[in-house]
Amino acid sequence: MPRLREEILNDLADNVLNMREDLAVKAAKEAVEAGIDALDAINNGLVVGMNQAGELYDQEEYFVPELVICSDALYLGLDILKPHIKAEESEKEISCVIGVIEGDTHDIGKNLVKIMLDVSGFEIHDLGRNVPLADFVEKAKEVKASLICLSTLMTTTMDSMATVIEMLKEEGIRDQLKVMVGGGPISQAFADSIGADGYASNASQAVTVAKNLCNVLTTA
Amino acid sequence: MNPFERLMKAVDKEPVDRVPLICPGGMMTMAVSEAMDLLRASWPEAHKDAGLMADLTEGMTRLGGIENLGVPFCMTIEAESMGATVDLGNRAREPHVTRYVMESMADTGVLRPLDPEKGRAAVCCDAIRLLKKRRTDLPLIGNLSGPVSLATSLVEPISYYRAVRRDKPRVYELTSFCVEQAIVLGDAMVSAGADMICIADPSATGDLLGPSAFEEFVLPCLNRMTRHFQEDLGVPVIVHICGDIKKTGKLLEKLEARVISVDSVVGISRLSHLIPEKVTMGNVSTYTLERGSPGKVERAGLSCLRQGVDILAPACGISPLTPLTNIQSLAKIQTGLKIEP
Repeated sequence: MPRLREEILNDLADNVLNMREDLAVKAAKEAVEAGIDALDAINNGLVVGMNQAGELYDQEEYFVPELVICSDALYLGLDILKPHIKAEESEKEISCVIGVIEGDTHDIGKNLVKIMLDVSGFEIHDLGRNVPLADFVEKAKEVKASLICLSTLMTTTMDSMATVIEMLKEEGIRDQLKVMVGGGPISQAFADSIGADGYASNASQAVTVAKNLCNVLTTA
Repeated sequence: MNPFERLMKAVDKEPVDRVPLICPGGMMTMAVSEAMDLLRASWPEAHKDAGLMADLTEGMTRLGGIENLGVPFCMTIEAESMGATVDLGNRAREPHVTRYVMESMADTGVLRPLDPEKGRAAVCCDAIRLLKKRRTDLPLIGNLSGPVSLATSLVEPISYYRAVRRDKPRVYELTSFCVEQAIVLGDAMVSAGADMICIADPSATGDLLGPSAFEEFVLPCLNRMTRHFQEDLGVPVIVHICGDIKKTGKLLEKLEARVISVDSVVGISRLSHLIPEKVTMGNVSTYTLERGSPGKVERAGLSCLRQGVDILAPACGISPLTPLTNIQSLAKIQTGLKIEP
């Protein structure tokens, strides 16, 4: 007898949370076979597990290695489910440009934020690390971004965040998007002082802030 | 008591006339752009020229009042020598790795063993020899990258962190190799004349790895390096721990290094409570040093002293854009604050 939708969704979430990549894949296949809507399985299964992992990271029960494995399990499940998303169903994603400021190569935090935003429905354009400031502006124009996320761990590069905001003004697109900043030396006060729209102190908080900034209703 | 004697006594927990002020070098770099201009010894040239490297660290003791010599000014020498591609940055930006040498954790075969007689490893040792001839009154610190920071300069950090959970044998293999290569460089520094070794491992914090991985992978490696220098060669070791210690607190006791240096988020009184046997070092916020007023820097330094720090130092690498006056204000409270024997 086929299992209930709730059971399969729970399995998807649990297997992401508990870092069981093979079982996440198995549950994703089961979801497809049981005829569960792919988006339903992603949003109410895999993503729920990743959000729970994010909460454990917040509480310092999980650390970077655990979060990396959870996201591996999530992406393996996504690979199975994505081909089954019905075209008319796929929502318009919010376009987001993310990167580490030029002069800084510390990208662990940026990568975690990228994963969490990606699974939360943002369309991520990752510029990587050590990114020339003009590239943020150019990419934002190219992909019509609604959100730019700037990260740096170093005090020597934090002022460049203000420069990016100035460049957005000069290009006349500052009002069309939100700017979120984060990283070791960054604080809410610093974000306010350079006119950024939001600040997040860690990857799971980044999702909440980004959703607020972009007026996304939280489905969880 | 000259700065050399003072630091060596502080390291041995013996009475000193006052607390030494040091800035080891390496990740905890001391060089600022303002001094580079005055000394005509600037980054990036000073990263690859022994004379300029020596001039710059010696100049910082004169201009900033720092009481030690320390080289190099980055943590890319080991990785570069082992095959990574490094951009040397500019007068305001530290060198950094721009291309990892390993494609994956399985790729250890592409790594070259570190050759201390070639490239910037040799430059660094030449600088130590030059400094040793010029100054015997100042302690000379050789700086090494911690094993996890070196490993994550050779392979994409996410791959390394994933393997911490999924492929422990490869983590052991790569991290041990990194320990061995760092020791090769450290040995060359000590033969050239380094009086102390400082190891910093910013990629191996408890915040990033969690306490159990810290205990399993990081502690044994740091202690292996420490034992080699401290016991086999008789050279005292400083281990700098980045980030908060609330998850790793008790584990710090197991570090064998004589001196433990911490980040500015950690209270010195909390640290000395955790490790009463050890020498505490720290931890003036480098953010305050760069962006605060001289008065604020002075208050931050005094607060460390009041909490009983054994060695006064910045909490991390000083930003090259730090004003010299702020560094001097740390030195001033030091010379003005004599501790009665």
